[in-house]
Formats: sequence, structure tokens, C-alpha cells
Amino acid sequence: MWRYIVRRLLQTIPVILGATLLIYALVFLQPGDPIVALFGEKPVSEAARAQLEAQYNLDKPFIVQWLLFLKGALVGDFGTSYSGQPVSDLIARSLPVTFQLAFMAMIIEAILGVVAGFYAGLRRGHIFDSTMLVVSLVVIAIPIFVLGFALQLIFGVQLQWVPPTVGSATTFTNLLLPAVVLGLVSFAYVLRLTRTSVIENLTADHVRTARAHGVPDGVVNRRHVLRNSLIPVVTFLGADLGALMAGAVVTEGIFNINGIGNLAYQAILRGENPTVVSVVTIMVLIYVVASLLVDLLYAALDPRIRYA
Amino acid sequence: MHNHTPQPGQERFVAPAIDTELPTAVDVDTSHPPESQWKQAWKSLRSNWIFWFSAILLLLVLVVVCFPTLFTSVDPRSADLSNSLGKPQPGHIFGFDRQGYDVFARTIHGARASVIIGLLTTLIVTIVGLLTGAIAGFFGGWVDTIISRAADIFFAIPLLLAAIVGLSALNNVWPNRGYWGGVSAVVIALAVFGWPQITRIARGAVMEIKNLEFVDAARSLGASKWRNLFTHIIPNALPPVIVTATVSLGVYIVAEATLSFLGIGLPPSVVSWGNDIAAAQPQVRSGDNLHVLFFPAGALAMTVLSFMLLGDAVRDALDPKARK
Repeated sequence: MWRYIVRRLLQTIPVILGATLLIYALVFLQPGDPIVALFGEKPVSEAARAQLEAQYNLDKPFIVQWLLFLKGALVGDFGTSYSGQPVSDLIARSLPVTFQLAFMAMIIEAILGVVAGFYAGLRRGHIFDSTMLVVSLVVIAIPIFVLGFALQLIFGVQLQWVPPTVGSATTFTNLLLPAVVLGLVSFAYVLRLTRTSVIENLTADHVRTARAHGVPDGVVNRRHVLRNSLIPVVTFLGADLGALMAGAVVTEGIFNINGIGNLAYQAILRGENPTVVSVVTIMVLIYVVASLLVDLLYAALDPRIRYA
Repeated sequence: MHNHTPQPGQERFVAPAIDTELPTAVDVDTSHPPESQWKQAWKSLRSNWIFWFSAILLLLVLVVVCFPTLFTSVDPRSADLSNSLGKPQPGHIFGFDRQGYDVFARTIHGARASVIIGLLTTLIVTIVGLLTGAIAGFFGGWVDTIISRAADIFFAIPLLLAAIVGLSALNNVWPNRGYWGGVSAVVIALAVFGWPQITRIARGAVMEIKNLEFVDAARSLGASKWRNLFTHIIPNALPPVIVTATVSLGVYIVAEATLSFLGIGLPPSVVSWGNDIAAAQPQVRSGDNLHVLFFPAGALAMTVLSFMLLGDAVRDALDPKARK
């Protein structure tokens, strides 16, 4: 088990290095002078330019810039944004909000998706199953910003159950609607995934054996069908954390939440390169850690999987 | 009825072959070769109404994409501000948007950009993913390590965020890129970060297939490695890849709309569903003028839905376990 964890951890190193290098190249190897952009219409004096280039490491070769960034990131120092704020502060301010939002979205999608998928799979072809399949397809087919906008209009503007935009008041109730919107697409995938594997497991040998032994239906369904069906769902949820963080770009924009998605989006639009690379690095780290946790969770869910 | 007492020399009763329902080797019909999995899949697809429903809808979309002028003679780029936000009326059944564009003409002409981006991205992603995944799964060893780690790197950056960063980089090096330039930029940004999904699936399928008996048989008959890979392994690894590709086609269409909504996808001059939905958003804030948003969003949703349904139907047809 420990050998597996170590090997798996070592595997993540090239992924983190590669992904940060990739994004660093995309952001910093563009034509255009960030220092000119910083000064706008005003002329840039030679001294100011030299000082700024030294401050942002722009005078060094690209690879050195990247290595210096990594060195700082290792101790949680992501440098300074062009507007003069420490990037770590910006992230520390916005990451908890997005975490709260993504966590709520994940709870919502996991519970609703598994429960609905489980019952749909048990009653394959019945009215509940068909309804859920149609609902899931519609949710996937309509772009999330249209759905989010429609829900905002109905619950926020017309019914006034929740405030239409969140702003800085990130309470549980204020974040509920954005979390539902963020989790909707993944809810559809979780539902379909659970349903498919429940249907598959219903005809499995061990389930038939359990029934033949006279185990009550409810127990068989919960203990033997549902538990086995959760394995692909857990894989999906692990990989989905990264998608949720990225999906926050849209959701946070619609509901005006000052989270990391909004931070990334604004930074990209304004050419705040240090902020962009830092936020993407954080998201890559979250993805890598989540998929590592999923691999380890496997062993707990599926006794057949043992890591040597 | 046979006598169930054991015959001399027999421990217990064995039913004569003629009494069992198992066909004997002699009875197997060898007059024609067994049907290929594709033919069987087509047979099962043919009897599935979901397949026909989605196929006909997609055919309609395809006709709209190729010949938009068959459906409307109104120019989607000619606006009359006096029509601004006009309600649906005879001759202009979807009404007008804020600029006074005819929404029906915009919806018809907008299909092209959205569908082409979906199709092209899926095509590139499928070819690249299939080849890299098949090579990684087939050869294993360091080839597999390099391809898998590279796929991991591109997969680790969330697609939407990666596409935003990629497109903003493209905007700098390639400004004012017009219709086809705008379309290609979105395709490039989505494809560069989309291929690992197919690579992973193809790799898994190939690793499963390469150890099956018929591959061994081909090898022992003298088939070369590459011949084996291309004529025996890849065709059999196709089903899961095709299913994923069909579903992701819809996902890419939605991604284009999302990128355009964020103002970084297609340039505003391009008529597309994504751009129209984005432009409609502010007009509907108070709950009025819903027609401006409803028609482009509805067209996009119907198209994506059709691809999803087609993917479902194809999966059911290609999976022998799901077939009746």
C-alpha cells in the first residue's frame, strides 16, 4: 500500500511540472509588453522599466522565470500581480468561497444523482426512470449559463426566494442556488452513471446468489448492488472536482461571486499573467490531489482491489 | 420418453443429444460467415426509435448548416433598429433582437459555426486520441509512459479554463481573424486540451483486446505488429471511442457557446448560437423579451440533445450485453 502511494505520488510530479510549464508558456510566451500595458498611455522611463522587469523576473529567460515561479509556489509565494497585490492574498481571499461553492455543488450532485440513479436503475423502463433520463439529457444539452440564468430569473427575480446575486455575502443560503446550478450538469452524469452500473450489477452473480440465500430485497439492493455501483461514481466525482472549479468561472460570473473562477477570468481578460498561472496551478494541484484520493478510496470500496 | 434408468456401464442417466436443446456442431449453419459486429449493431440500431428520432433531427440540422438559404431569405447581418426587440410576427416568426436582427435568420445561419466547431473538434480529438491511445496501449513500456504522462498533463488543466487561456493567447498572436479564423481558433483551443479523454479510452480498450485469442492467431499466422494493430486491434477498440466521441460532440458545441458567452470564443461578427445567446442575456434580465434568448438556446439544446441521444443509441447497439 505504501509503495503504491509513493509511486503514485512520484507520478504526479511530471504532471504538475508539465501542466504548469504548459500554462506558463501559453501565458508568458505571447507577444506584447506587460510593462507597457501597466503604464497605459504614459511613457515608460528606462529606470522604471528595468526595476519592474527585475521585480517580475521578466529580464530572465523564460525557463528561469518558470523555475523561480515554482520555487516560490512551493512555499506558498505566488509573487505579485501587476496591480501590486500579492497573488497569494488574492487566492486566499477567493479560494475558500469557491471551495464552499464546489463542496456544496458536489454534495448536491452526489446525493441527488446517486439516489435518483439508484431508483431509476432498480425500476428500469418505468415512468420515474424515463423522466430522470429525459431530465438528465435536457440538463446536459442546455448550456449551463442559460440554465443558471433561467433559475436566477425564476427564483431570484420573480419569486425572490433567494437574492439574484451573491456579492460578498457568501452565506449558505445565498450560495445554495449557485451551487445547484454548478452541480446540475454533473448531477446528470452521476445519475446516468449510477443508473447504468446499478442495471449492470442487478444481474451480477453475487447479487443472484445473495437473493437465492434469501437475503431481503432491500438489503441486497443496498449492500450488494448500490455499494458496487458506487465505484465508477467515485471515480467520476474525483475527476469532477477540477471541472467544478473551472465551471465556477461561469457560475461565479452569473451570480457575481468573488471566487477563484471569477479571479481567473478577470485576470485573463486583464492580462494579469502572474495571477493566471497561479490560479491554474492551484486548480491542477486540486485535480491531482483529488484523483490521488480517488485511487486510494477504491481500495476501501472494492475489496478486490489491493495495492501491492 | 426415454427410460431414466442407467444403462450398463453408465454411472447415471445421460440424455441422448437429440433430447437436449443444445444444437450439435452439425446443425450450425456454416453456409455464410457470421455477421460482423457492425452489421449486428446496425440491425439493432434500425429498430430503435431513439436512433431514428435523433438521426432525422441531425439530418435536418445538417441541411440547415449546408443550405441555410433554403430556410430563410433574410440576411442575418442586416439590422433595422426600428425593429429592436420586436415580438414574433408573421414573416418574422421568431421576432427581432435588440439590434433589430431577425432572430429566425440568425438562428438558421448560426447553426453553421456551432455545428462545424463541434464536428471538427470531435474529428481531430478522435483521430489524435485513437492513434496515441492505441499506440500507448499496444506497445506499452516507455512509449506508454510518455504518452500517458503527456495526456495526464493536458487533462490536469480543466478544459474550460485551458480553452480560455489558450484563446486569449491566440487573440494576441492572431487578432482580427474573421469567420474561418475565428472558428479554427476555437477548434484549436478545444482540441489541444480535449484529446486525452479519447486517448485514455482507446488505450484501455486496446490493452484489453491485444491479449485476446484472435490477435494471437493473427500474429501466429505471420501478421506484423503494425498490421495487427491497424487491421485487428483498432477496429475492435472503436466502439467505446465512437460512443464517447458522439457524446463529446455535444459537449464541444456547449463549450463553444460558453466561450462565446464569456466573450472570448467567436468574434462578435460571427453569427453563432453562442454569440446570440450571450447578446440576448442582458435583454431578458427583467423577464421580458424571452424570445431573443429562447430560440438560439433552444436550437442549440435540440442539436446537443440529438447528439447525446445518438450516442446513447449507438452505445446500446454496440454493446452486446445491452442488446436483446
